[in-house]
Amino acid sequence: MSLWVDKYRPKDLMKLDYHKDQATRLKNLVQQSDFPHLLVYGPSGAGKKTRIMCLLRELYGSGAERLRQETMHFTTPSNKKIEIMTVSSNYHIEVNPTDVGIHDRVVIMDLVKNVAQTHQIDSSGQREFKVVILNEVDDLTKDAQHALRRTMEKYVATCRLILIANSISRVIPAIRSRCLTIRVPAPTENEIVTVLHSVCKKEGLSLPTELAMRIAKAADRNLRRALLMCEACKVQKYPFTPDQKVPEPDWQQYIRETASMILTEQSPKKLGEVRQKLYELIIHGIPPDMIFSGLLCELVRNCDISMKCQIASYAAEYEHRMRLGNKPIFHLEAFVAKSMAIYKKYVEESLGDAF
Amino acid sequence: MSDFPDPDEEYELMYSDELELMKENEDKTDSNPVKQKSLPAKRSLDFSSHISKNKDLQEKLESNTKDNDINLTPSLQNMEEVLAQTNVPSKRTAEDLFGDIDDIDFDNLELPSKRQKTDEENDFDLINKILEGRRLKQLLTEPASGGNMKTKVNFDVKENISINIPKWPFMPLTNSDGDRIYIRLESEDYWNKSLEMDSEQLSLRSTYSSAWEEAQKILEKKEQKSLKEDDTPMIDIGEHNTSLWVEKYRPSSYIDLLSEEPVNRALLHWLHLWDKVVFKKEVKTKDPQQRTTFSKRAGQFQLTNKWKGKKESEPEIDDDGRPHHKVALLCGPPGVGKTTLAHLLARLAGYRPVELNASDDRSTEAFRSALVSATSMRSVMDVDRRPNCLILDEIDGAPTQTVELLVKWCTTTVAEGAKKKSKTQPLRRPVIAICNDLYATSLRPLRPVALTVTVGSVSAARLASRLAVVASYERLRVETKVLSALATRAGGDIRTALHVLNFLRAKTKLTIKDIENVAIGTKDTSKSIMQALQAVFTLDDSNTEAFHRIIQAAGEYDRLVDGIFENYITARVDTRLHIASETMSWLGYYDIVQAWTMRCQNYSLYGTLPLCIARCHRLLATRTYHKLKFPMQAQEMYRKKVELDSILVSVWRGSGPHVVNNRNALKLDVIPLLPYLLTPTLRSANIQMYRKKVELDSILVSVWRGSGPHVVNNRNALKLDVIPLLPYLLTPTLRSANIQTARVKPRKIDENIKKMEEKLVNVTEKESRLPNHLQRLKPKSIEKRIPQYSVATRRHGKRRHGKRRHANNSVYK
Repeated sequence: MSLWVDKYRPKDLMKLDYHKDQATRLKNLVQQSDFPHLLVYGPSGAGKKTRIMCLLRELYGSGAERLRQETMHFTTPSNKKIEIMTVSSNYHIEVNPTDVGIHDRVVIMDLVKNVAQTHQIDSSGQREFKVVILNEVDDLTKDAQHALRRTMEKYVATCRLILIANSISRVIPAIRSRCLTIRVPAPTENEIVTVLHSVCKKEGLSLPTELAMRIAKAADRNLRRALLMCEACKVQKYPFTPDQKVPEPDWQQYIRETASMILTEQSPKKLGEVRQKLYELIIHGIPPDMIFSGLLCELVRNCDISMKCQIASYAAEYEHRMRLGNKPIFHLEAFVAKSMAIYKKYVEESLGDAF
Repeated sequence: MSDFPDPDEEYELMYSDELELMKENEDKTDSNPVKQKSLPAKRSLDFSSHISKNKDLQEKLESNTKDNDINLTPSLQNMEEVLAQTNVPSKRTAEDLFGDIDDIDFDNLELPSKRQKTDEENDFDLINKILEGRRLKQLLTEPASGGNMKTKVNFDVKENISINIPKWPFMPLTNSDGDRIYIRLESEDYWNKSLEMDSEQLSLRSTYSSAWEEAQKILEKKEQKSLKEDDTPMIDIGEHNTSLWVEKYRPSSYIDLLSEEPVNRALLHWLHLWDKVVFKKEVKTKDPQQRTTFSKRAGQFQLTNKWKGKKESEPEIDDDGRPHHKVALLCGPPGVGKTTLAHLLARLAGYRPVELNASDDRSTEAFRSALVSATSMRSVMDVDRRPNCLILDEIDGAPTQTVELLVKWCTTTVAEGAKKKSKTQPLRRPVIAICNDLYATSLRPLRPVALTVTVGSVSAARLASRLAVVASYERLRVETKVLSALATRAGGDIRTALHVLNFLRAKTKLTIKDIENVAIGTKDTSKSIMQALQAVFTLDDSNTEAFHRIIQAAGEYDRLVDGIFENYITARVDTRLHIASETMSWLGYYDIVQAWTMRCQNYSLYGTLPLCIARCHRLLATRTYHKLKFPMQAQEMYRKKVELDSILVSVWRGSGPHVVNNRNALKLDVIPLLPYLLTPTLRSANIQMYRKKVELDSILVSVWRGSGPHVVNNRNALKLDVIPLLPYLLTPTLRSANIQTARVKPRKIDENIKKMEEKLVNVTEKESRLPNHLQRLKPKSIEKRIPQYSVATRRHGKRRHGKRRHANNSVYK
């Protein structure tokens, strides 16, 4: 048995819970003979992959759901052996090229060419093209993205690409212009609540609306997280009560703790402690930009309006620098130090006013 | 003299010295009749008498000429005449005596002869005095006599030193080339006599003090003249002499070596280990006490005596009697005397060093031939009595194939030696390899088989004292302060120090300024990262330039910046955190520039990196000393991150294809919430019960909480599944992990689950090694069931067999 997230995933475009007009448009797209390259983007947990899988089913029928895992091997020009895991059906192959780090170009070149150069065996009643799904396109290196652009045009007869990204800002314009970009916005909280209700109904559980709303809020408009939280709630305590504790990912709590540390005391010693916390977050693979945004949210919530501006602008500045640099910890700490300095100054000034 | 066939050697040996003395001193008189008698060998007797006759003539001539010459001192001449008169009777008496005892037997005569000697001592002394006076005169009058004297001395050397084993009593010595020479032992009588002579000279000087002084003056004058004449050619020679000081003052004996004593000893000892194979003599330690003092060197300097038990000798010498390490690998920075050490010690140990260095062809073929020719034993032994010792200089520059060949050469002989002993063993000679970089990639195969001897750089004090010696030889007047400055500057490199000294000798007076200002002789002394870090955090007003130099010498900016990052918080009092934010913004700037440089491979901005560090220095430097930590944190964190990432990847890979997830979603959403999903509120069970195998599954539930709470559903399957795991569940780490997970700490959750997962892996790995009787419990029918989703347990699904799959299955029931 699987998690609710996987169990109640819609399998058909028409059964999607939200963005229904987009779904119909996608369905129409499939009906047409020419199916363009797609670039699907949107925040995590919005349902990108779900839509893509529905789309594949629409294209190829249920055969596209017979998935298998394979490990493919490639050799880089520098004779380094790399292996990458792919998920594929008879009609498509899905790969995450960023798994191999800087060698993603090799994967893209070899894999896409391999797939594109083999035609469908039985093209009668089938689509003439196969689909290659590339995950996390925005994290591809520039080299790989450039390798992609020519391939997209060259093998357009036999292969379509579906690119998945969180944001298209880091996808080069050349690729953006070659694709039909489809934005999948995150579901609203009300939409999440309805989804939670429908899932609980299918499970035979009764979910109080208050709890559903709380879960939706805590999930940060991330449907996957909301479903997981809901299931966790069920495991922890059933029958549900409206004021039940909603478990949330520990890293969020951790970031919140870190932010409160910044606010409680502003001193070099505290800075050192904060650094340890930041390191801890980084080594657990929490993306530094999420740490940034988490810290910023917490800090901004607890300070004066004039400080909000300052802190937000500094956060933007340091976050930008972090993207340019290699060592996120430097920029995170720079931000922490700066916000501590600002806060300290503010506190001292207000104290001075008081006297 | 040495060829006497006489059986009565002893006597001759005793008196040969005196005879020589006679030859020097006597004119025509042989006042010692006994000696004359005692020498039956006609040749030598004739020889001495011949000389004395010649001398007589010569002196007569001289006296004649002297008369004609300018009279130096009338008194002296008078004296001479007087002496000449007295000379005649003394000679006569001698002759009389000679005649008397001509036919007397030698043995009987020994005692009376001595008595006679005492009788005639007065005359004899007088003669000696006269002779001394004459000699002096001769010296004063004609400089040629100095040459005469010299030849006499040479004659003496020939007499007293022999290469072959002489007949006279000797002391065997071995010179630096390894040649054995024999030096004559002198009898005590001779010494007494020479002492007497000295006293006589003194007395002579006192009686004729005025004359003596005058003579001295003249002598001095002459000496000065000759010195002046000498001086110019001396310098000429010095300039013509093209040999560098490095060559000139190369250590020629063991005690001259500047390298550390343990190092020298280590190599010498290793060379001596070859003695058994090369020289066919037992290897024994001559000084066990000293050997034990060096036992700290990996226990290799334990007693190696054959008599002291074989156990100790085993690690050093293999079955063939060759040392355990066939090759010695000398490594160290340039200019510390590695090559010199190798050559000198090889020579000392009785080998002929054969050098093969980077200038030679070091292709595999050439190397093979060199190796064969140098180490093949017999042919060389016949030509030159000394066997070869191959010295492979600068081996770190040699191609890898060459080094591999050398290693093969050493290692194959071990195998062969075991098979056919003492027949064909290619490597029967010591091979010393010299390198600068011990960890060069080409040396990787050699390192395990070689005895590694690290020659450290020479301490400044020792180097300075050696420089002082060189300076004194070269008549350079240098202050010790200057020399020590030079030594420090050279940084342990003897060669550089000597070169600089050589370069600077043109100056009459060397000062510290000269040493500091000289552009040559500075090596790019690399500063360690810690030194640079210390420089960043300490304020030094005196020399601002030095800071930049230190940073650039240290080089590793990345490391340095990490060091700043880890140490800056405590560097200064910073309550308002202005310094911290300023420092961090500079470090951030550094990071951006560095990342850009690396990404674009464009180094045009690389030069600004040290400026960032310099800015940090301005912000952070204080006068107080800080204890700085070595930057470890960044690497440590990176290591941990990689570790956790790999766990995540394996979890991710373990998830089935139907579970559409990317890694980030798994990491951020699924795994953090998974512990909640998998840990329903359960009572934990008692370990004792578990031992009794009562209520097995409830315990299992608590143990396997991380992996599957729903296990209870399938009780039978569980039992089958977990019984093989029983021994491992008792390990305390797992139990503690169990307790930890029981109390769900939100903070620790994903760490804990990862820990649990790791343990699962460990357990399952061990599982495969279980005895068969336990493994047979595994039901095969369950294998078909493939779980749809299994984060925790399918990590190593492939390695795991049916039983684990089974557990997975139950997880999501």
